[in-house]
Amino acid sequence: MALFERRDQLPIPPKNAKAHNTVCQYCNVGCGYKVYVWPVGQVGGVQAGQNAFGVDLRNQGPIAGQTYSETMHSVITMKDGLQYHVVAVPAKDSPINRNGDHSSRGATNAIATWSEERATRERLKYPLLRVGDMFQAVTWDEAMNVLAGVAKGIRDKWSDDEIAVKAFDHGGSGAGFENNYGVGSLFFKGFSVKHISIHNRPAYNSEVWGSRERGVHELNYDASDARLADTIVLWGANTYETASVFYTQHMLPNLQGATVAEKQKAFAKGEAAEPAYFVVVDPRRTSSLTAAEQAAQGRTLHLRPNLGTDYILANAIARVIWERKYYDMNFLQNRTDMQKFEAYKSKSLGVGTAYANFMAEAESITGVKRADIEKAADWIAKPKPGGAKRRTLTIYEKGMIWNMKNYDQVAAVVQMNVLSQNIGRPGTGVGRQGGHQEGYVRPAAPTPGSIYNGGPPVNVDKYLTDGNGKLYWVIATNPYLSTPNAQIFRKRIHERTKTLTDYLGQSGEPGTTQGLVDKILKGLEATEGLFLVVQDLYMTHTAMDAHLVLPASAWGEANQTSINCNSRLLRLYEKFVDPPGDAKQDWEICKMTAQKMAALYRKEGNEEQAKRFDFANKWAKDEDVFLDGANEFPNNKIPEQEEATLPAECYKGVTYAYLKQVGQQGIRTPVRQDPATGKLAGTLRRYSSKFGTKDGKFSWYATDDWQGYPEEVSKYLEGEMAGKYPFWMTTGRAQSIWQTMYNDRLLPEKTTGLPLPYVEVHPQDAHKLGIKGGDIVQVWNEEGNGNFMVYITDAVKPGLIFALQYHTRGTSNSMTSGYTDPKTTIPWYKGTRVNIRKISGGLPDILATASTLQNNKFD
Amino acid sequence: MKAVISRRKFVQISVLSAASLGVGKAAYWFAPSLPYPALKVGNINNLQTGQAVYFNYPDARAQAILVKLGRQATGGIGKGRDVVAFSAACTHMGCGVQYKEGRFVCPCHFSMFDPAKNGQVYQGLASTYLPQIELRLDSNGDIYARAIGGLIWGRASNI
Ligand code: SF4
Ligand code: FES
Repeated sequence: MALFERRDQLPIPPKNAKAHNTVCQYCNVGCGYKVYVWPVGQVGGVQAGQNAFGVDLRNQGPIAGQTYSETMHSVITMKDGLQYHVVAVPAKDSPINRNGDHSSRGATNAIATWSEERATRERLKYPLLRVGDMFQAVTWDEAMNVLAGVAKGIRDKWSDDEIAVKAFDHGGSGAGFENNYGVGSLFFKGFSVKHISIHNRPAYNSEVWGSRERGVHELNYDASDARLADTIVLWGANTYETASVFYTQHMLPNLQGATVAEKQKAFAKGEAAEPAYFVVVDPRRTSSLTAAEQAAQGRTLHLRPNLGTDYILANAIARVIWERKYYDMNFLQNRTDMQKFEAYKSKSLGVGTAYANFMAEAESITGVKRADIEKAADWIAKPKPGGAKRRTLTIYEKGMIWNMKNYDQVAAVVQMNVLSQNIGRPGTGVGRQGGHQEGYVRPAAPTPGSIYNGGPPVNVDKYLTDGNGKLYWVIATNPYLSTPNAQIFRKRIHERTKTLTDYLGQSGEPGTTQGLVDKILKGLEATEGLFLVVQDLYMTHTAMDAHLVLPASAWGEANQTSINCNSRLLRLYEKFVDPPGDAKQDWEICKMTAQKMAALYRKEGNEEQAKRFDFANKWAKDEDVFLDGANEFPNNKIPEQEEATLPAECYKGVTYAYLKQVGQQGIRTPVRQDPATGKLAGTLRRYSSKFGTKDGKFSWYATDDWQGYPEEVSKYLEGEMAGKYPFWMTTGRAQSIWQTMYNDRLLPEKTTGLPLPYVEVHPQDAHKLGIKGGDIVQVWNEEGNGNFMVYITDAVKPGLIFALQYHTRGTSNSMTSGYTDPKTTIPWYKGTRVNIRKISGGLPDILATASTLQNNKFD
Repeated sequence: MKAVISRRKFVQISVLSAASLGVGKAAYWFAPSLPYPALKVGNINNLQTGQAVYFNYPDARAQAILVKLGRQATGGIGKGRDVVAFSAACTHMGCGVQYKEGRFVCPCHFSMFDPAKNGQVYQGLASTYLPQIELRLDSNGDIYARAIGGLIWGRASNI
């Protein structure tokens, strides 16, 4: 009996199964995986000598054994027309997912592969062109003729400014250095596109300029630092659910005292080494906190600031550090810019204000008690018994990044750590947890930096919804779900794309390619219509409105390279299956577009423009793109003390052959080539000698004073509106699903338990609203609305709800405002005001099949 | 051995080829696909709500849990349809789950499973639901384990 098809035996990979090294396609942790592929018809045996795992499958012990779960097997068809078993299991030899650990997301890597026999048959196989207002398959050549024809027409008639792009900039998930370089080269070398935005936000920007402009790249620690830290701080990061194995393999053992021996080895002789303390700064009682409360009783602290006030809290902790002299003046003088420090001291730490007054104000703004702020400061920075410096690793993520005032939030938390020298030493660091993996290598973008570097960048969503732009090209993202103020955005894009479709239909659609291109261009001139191109794995919500859909190939369907976030570990993700139909890698699609553009220019004798698009001619295979991309990095034949001068992802000198050789051990970027021997050397931990600024010194920044909430949200706090929208809403992700569920929505293991997007509601609020777990509610404000399933939990406090940010059936982003930080154009996805009502009736199937048990209660 | 085949054919062929390879086991693996023993695991009249009973099934190396939940459950037996049994090996990495106040909690990495919803993982790192054990009730109130709807962690075959 089971709610969906289950297995009670699995095919065993025979000894001669082809073994591939790879890395999980999903989250920032980047767990190592092994993939075994062999023809259907053969099976291995249970004895260690009879199977590719090399283990006795009759007698495996917990943890030590090789996990091979029902979700880790699939049957796929390759281009040779033969069926193969594919088994994707966690690697046992990875320094990241030690012991072969893995999460519920990565464990489904095998069943998420394309198969005609399962729901993943939905993958896009052929280019689709909207003809007569329905999608019809076309050849790649025809698709390119239309796309390049329209793009060139727009350039000729207007300029590249009318071409808007939204594309991934990350690693993993079928992206990586190769595809990043393909996309970057097309839009920055060929075209010169200013109106480009990144997959999860409306502009082309760093989410952490507040850190980078201090001389600190956000990925500066190693996963092992979480095993060595005296104190771990999670600030707006729910690691247990969104970077699960980083938590279970690196934080949890430290909380449980299992890494004390490692600490004794890494620390100075006689330095105190104890199980870690754990500070969680989050509006919710996250499972990361409540699991730690079980594992490290008495050593956890929860700070619960009012939404948007985190930078005030970070500054207040830093003030305590200053007041109690938990800093090393030698370090500050030698390694940081003391001139700028004065401004930080007076503005952020308020040293001109009496301590008691400063703390009272911080307490009133943040809602966090002074005693807790002081306790946090002690746990973060107070020297250990015996006098050694405390080692604190602070991990932050979207709770800080997608907070109000992105720039100041991130700067404040980094400065708090640097003030106490919690960076560049074993067991320290202040960095992002990460969401996805990374793999950025691109030519310089024609877009500005933060407000302090020529910016802020353009909000491309607004550019489009204001009626600007002619072509909108969306690559590997689904902005109808993922962009802020999403409801307004999708309605407007829908309207503009339909305007063009309607125009094309007037007096019959042209039958020839040139006729179609001409009519599209005419339509773009005569109306405010928008030509929408979507390049993706599936027919996404956004793709439904496209005129042209381009099928991309995914993880495992080509060789790719990426780094993880928590160790910057570069590895090769080997190809092990063929893509569905004629789907292609993003870099190949970019190459085809470029070559078509060049041909069109050459045909009319415009060699100057044609040449711009010749960049891809030398790319014959994936490694060519990888190696070409390496040329974007500066000279890396430098000594170790100079590592801070390198971009975090620098991999110059690395080849596929090298990566094959190092396998799961990989190499940590930035990679250097030893000036004497030329040997490749990775970087375990950054900024031990210098920071990444011109003079190598940390560049302090004076944060803004508290100025209250931006107009887009403060409007809900005044007068009548305050009564109409009585709840704060914050947002985030859930353990079991990956991003918009583009794969997970096809897996019953995921959809049965999470059939709908959900909201967490406190029991007191639920009582007042007359709702219970499993009810369906509408959540709304003046930006938009959405329907959610209810979970009752004390994770949220009364007056605050938490809404799942992405689900294939809806998004909290419909309600988020259009506000972005004026310094960076980064949205505040995680705070607005809403109202809730129960939708009458219920869905008995959901009540019968989806669990509503409280998922942060472990005791 | 290589051939272009449909899925249905493949299932049949693999049954044959597995046999012909001398593996001795059919490769038709949709649960329940194996000859499970019938094992008496308790009597319905002796069960107390919320008290877990541990037993081994389908063999001595596999721990399982029988529990009367006090709320209706998928696949539950008895008057209240609330008596269920599961493999106790966490589907994440094999640690023994514990029954605590209406749910199963794994002490290793905190995966949690809902016994009323087919062993659904509602938190944690485990990829699949806990394998639910099919129960039969005879006229004396004796409860028999009959089959397992899912793969026991660490094995490539339940039997
Ligand atoms: S923790 Fe992240 S990288 Fe590891 S298996 Fe899960 S999703 Fe994949
Ligand atoms: S073994 Fe149960 S959660 Fe890991």
